[in-house]
Amino acid sequence: MALLLLALGLSRGRFPAAARAQPVPAPAPVFLIVVHGDHPEESIDGRFLGRVFLKKSTTWPDGSPVRPVDQRMDSRVRQRFSEQVLQRSVIAVRNYWQQLIFTGRAVPPPELDSDEAVIRYVLRYRGAVGYVSGTANVGSAKVLKIR
Amino acid sequence: MSVGVITSLSSARAQEALEIVPEEPEQTEALPLEFHGFVSQGFLKSTGNNYLAQSKRGSWEFAEVGINFTKTLSDRLRAGIQLFARDVGDIGNYDARVDWFYLDYRFADWLGLRAGRTKLPFGLYNEVSDIDSARVPVLMPQSIYSLRSRDYLLAQTGAELYGLVSLGGLGALEYRIYGGTMFADIANTSSTLRIERLDIPYLNGARLMWEAPLPGLRLGASLQTLELDYQFSGAAVANNPGAPMGIASAEISAWLWVASAEYAGDRMLLAAEFSRWYIDLDTTVPTVFPPSNTTSERYYVMAAYRATPRFTPGAYYSVYFRDIGLFSDPNKSCDRLGFRGCGRQNFQHDLAFTLRFDINPYWLVKLEGHYMRGTGDVTSALNDRRPLVQLEKNWALFIAKTTVHF
Repeated sequence: MALLLLALGLSRGRFPAAARAQPVPAPAPVFLIVVHGDHPEESIDGRFLGRVFLKKSTTWPDGSPVRPVDQRMDSRVRQRFSEQVLQRSVIAVRNYWQQLIFTGRAVPPPELDSDEAVIRYVLRYRGAVGYVSGTANVGSAKVLKIR
Repeated sequence: MSVGVITSLSSARAQEALEIVPEEPEQTEALPLEFHGFVSQGFLKSTGNNYLAQSKRGSWEFAEVGINFTKTLSDRLRAGIQLFARDVGDIGNYDARVDWFYLDYRFADWLGLRAGRTKLPFGLYNEVSDIDSARVPVLMPQSIYSLRSRDYLLAQTGAELYGLVSLGGLGALEYRIYGGTMFADIANTSSTLRIERLDIPYLNGARLMWEAPLPGLRLGASLQTLELDYQFSGAAVANNPGAPMGIASAEISAWLWVASAEYAGDRMLLAAEFSRWYIDLDTTVPTVFPPSNTTSERYYVMAAYRATPRFTPGAYYSVYFRDIGLFSDPNKSCDRLGFRGCGRQNFQHDLAFTLRFDINPYWLVKLEGHYMRGTGDVTSALNDRRPLVQLEKNWALFIAKTTVHF
């Protein structure tokens, strides 16, 4: 009996449950792509997302207008978004917009000051898409996965 | 009230703040009027020959100013206008003019329509050739982006179709097709010939660019055709049978094409373009202006590297050759290799180095040096009206320029 109890104790581990190794939580994403809560899709193509923020694509796949919104150039989340999605630095993107602004071909997306402002924006304008830091409280906005 | 309740209420209010929105999200938005502008001032100093201005003695006649206003009227409709003035030697003299204006409706990504006065999409950089903040060099390769020809080659009044067609894994195709005319000022500088009238019955063209799957790489080609109809008078054509009532005519038909390649990485820029311009001249006074058919050849290679966020060096090598027919002319010993025997007035090599300093996001300074060989792009009018063949073959140009933009 004692041996049985000992075997059971060993099979369940030597240490109390509270002291067992805890699974390492996944790190928070650097940024989240947010859209209106009614947005029909659950994910977004990364290349399409890049074209949207450079205003090379102006409509969602269903033909409705897409409205990108940026954060300030000096924000950390914008820098990370620019490097990962646009695959260029904020400075390079600024130079890109210089060309379009002074040739009249386009104007850059509006720049907002905070994650909260971006979320308010996407909730206000159907078709809008923005990015917020990975720990932001997105409220009723929907988060899209980048595929 | 306990801390826990206060915290809970604060979180609830924060949550509510994110959700205080109209019941129905807005479909359209009256976006505010956007305006942007720039002011540039430069200094030119050359050796040997005057170029663009009286540069041998040093010239501050190198300035540009522009301001534009853009209004997004709906998700698909936009309107804008840019006013521009410049002073480059005898060109411009700060005469303010409408640089571009347009109404732009985007039906879909693959189809948009612009109407008004729009910049011409010729080559990689025609549209930005006079926007100092949008490029590294002070002077874009003049073989293709001639500052002196800006009035003729920068914008047209008409309409343009444009769009971006996704090719999936093969990248995307950007196309632009335009047609219209342009209105050019008449510059009379001759004492024996006066241009009475200039009509440009048509200016048409297209550009097709392939945006490769490799980010930053694009390849493409542009084509443009235009006609200029002149009427002129003066002692040079007086009493000529081809000039009834003292008025002679000339018609210039031009076909221009350019093949382009660019890699614009995050820090690195590499670009190369090759162009030929076919110019036919026909006149009613052939004894004064013999008809001609010339094909000029123009090309360059360019590189720039953003070494730090505030410092970008760059360089290019540009070549202009006035008439490639000289290579096959049995009466001339013009060698395509190095242009030996071609006459300095028929070509111009330009080796340029630029240092761009971005002091802050709104202010930049550039220093640039050019080593020139040939006088093909020099003007006699700026050099005591001496023939180009008599001007200095090897000469240099230095430029300092600063720009504030917003």
